[in-house]
Amino acid sequence: MDPSEVEFLAERELVKVIPNFTHDKIYLISGDVGPFSAGLPLPVPLWLAVNLKQRQKCRFVAPDWMDIDVLKEKKQEEADSRFFTPMPSPHYMEITQLLLQWGTDDIPKADEIRTLVKDIWDLRIAKLRSSIDVFVKSGESHAKLNYLTLMEINTVRLFLTKALNHMHQLKSVTSRDTTNSNSQAF
Amino acid sequence: MSTEDVGDDLLETVDDEEEEEAMTAPEVLHKLEEAWLNEKFSPDLLPVKSNLVECMLDQIVAMENNISTLKKGDFRISVHRMEIDRIRYVISSYLRHRLAKIESLTTHVLQEEEKRRDSENVLMSPAELEFAKGYCNSVMTHLTNTALDHMPLKAATPNAKEIAVLPNLDSYVFLKVNENTENVLVEEETVDAREEIMDFEKGDQHIMRYKPIASLVESGGVSLI
Amino acid sequence: MAANFTLDSNPDSYFSLDDILASQEKVPCTFNTQVSNMGYMDQSTTDTNIVSGTKLELPFWLAKSLDRGSRSIINIDTPKNYKEVYRQIFTADPNVVDLHKLGPYFYLFGGKLISLHLPDNDDIASVLLKTFQGRFRRIMDGSQNTLNVDLTSQVSLLDEQERLLFSAGQQGLHDFQKWETRESEKLSTSTMVANHRKRKRFVLSSKSS
Repeated sequence: MDPSEVEFLAERELVKVIPNFTHDKIYLISGDVGPFSAGLPLPVPLWLAVNLKQRQKCRFVAPDWMDIDVLKEKKQEEADSRFFTPMPSPHYMEITQLLLQWGTDDIPKADEIRTLVKDIWDLRIAKLRSSIDVFVKSGESHAKLNYLTLMEINTVRLFLTKALNHMHQLKSVTSRDTTNSNSQAF
Repeated sequence: MSTEDVGDDLLETVDDEEEEEAMTAPEVLHKLEEAWLNEKFSPDLLPVKSNLVECMLDQIVAMENNISTLKKGDFRISVHRMEIDRIRYVISSYLRHRLAKIESLTTHVLQEEEKRRDSENVLMSPAELEFAKGYCNSVMTHLTNTALDHMPLKAATPNAKEIAVLPNLDSYVFLKVNENTENVLVEEETVDAREEIMDFEKGDQHIMRYKPIASLVESGGVSLI
Repeated sequence: MAANFTLDSNPDSYFSLDDILASQEKVPCTFNTQVSNMGYMDQSTTDTNIVSGTKLELPFWLAKSLDRGSRSIINIDTPKNYKEVYRQIFTADPNVVDLHKLGPYFYLFGGKLISLHLPDNDDIASVLLKTFQGRFRRIMDGSQNTLNVDLTSQVSLLDEQERLLFSAGQQGLHDFQKWETRESEKLSTSTMVANHRKRKRFVLSSKSS
């Protein structure tokens, strides 16, 4: 899957915005949004938030977790744990990316946030690589991947599935042969 | 007329089982998005979700009618348009993935459809089935004209079973568990390993081979991610 | 965006080019009986027949079809690269071995050999798996950690399937980095269109001169 498609899925997540206009509810196919009152924060899907922002109709409100202290703690927790820790949002990377791209002024300490989120990402990806290595060496046939986010899964998807398919094929050459040895006729 | 009438509609859809379920538009959309991802990641062709696709297309048409009644410059127009574009993307990507699979697994999907002929749960839509048959014929004609006609008769009769491209059901997939499921057979017993059984807990994510969980994808017990 | 569905199809599927190429690899065979009129297959003699005891390297697909267990007209021997001596080298340090030189379909061909019921079948099967597991980390790190670094020397040691794996790893990383730097949202002229224009311009300019 292309990362832009993961972003597409992330755009369904709700984020808070403060509109500078007043409008009744909008009845979208995917659900109702609004009513909008100028100055009052309300949750909207991320794709709509970005759209409103681009038209200068709102300000973003940083999600609770998009905060220096929260993220520093999260980073420490991730570094201390052998396992993947639960992330505050299943799409933390995409939400950070979009909010910071379009609304740097709305997010306090945007640069530090960006760096911290990237640090957490890097820690998790490094962890992902070593667990993949352990997994492949163990020869196990399945693994539980709780708390991995879709964007993280997606960066290793092709590589990991290919490697495991290859291994499965190597493991099954012996067993496949006994069932199949007479089927090849010329 | 305002756009309100569309969003509030409750939709009657007949589920695969006999029960009739009323789903709201957001629920249908959610199901369609799930079907799209399942289709994207499954190595095999899944039963078509025509009702979901048609329902969303109807919604789009109704919404477009409503948009046309809005005054030019209404703030809602671009919002609705954007949402329609997003849904259209999901629908076309879903259908394209299906066509791509039908092209690469042609004989296999035609055989599978044959097996399901008497059941309600068809594999392909009528249009897809027609495409599959046409494509199958075109490929055979092409192979015959370019190669088989120029070969000795004995070598020129391909064994349909041998040349059929089968889906690799042993491919690894990522999945998320939607419903608690006990005793999932992850690995069958082999000469040098015992069988492996696992319990799936709602919300868990796994990576494993497709074959053992194929039926759970169809029933909705797990989603591919 | 185009549908980028690619089937990770069975590598032994009928139309798989890799499968066809892998089944052309040679296996050493000894003839048990005389075979009339096939002497031309043995380049070292002018006899019309293949005499009993002749040793020939035959492509896998041919050897496989001549292999009929105990009453077979040929005996098949394990190819050199899969024999004990090599198996020990692979096990000792799988990372230094040039599998492309020894392959280039080291695993695929190795898997095919198993169907010939050679005496050392089990050892071959296990060395295939162990070799891959041993080389895996290097392949992953090489494909994931280094962009804009010359990787030709590392890639040249990989067998064909490992190369596919390597580029899958690189692609995952490239795609993510393109997304992260927001390059993927810039619309760009496809290379095909760009080249076409260049060609057109070239034709136009050569006409006018």
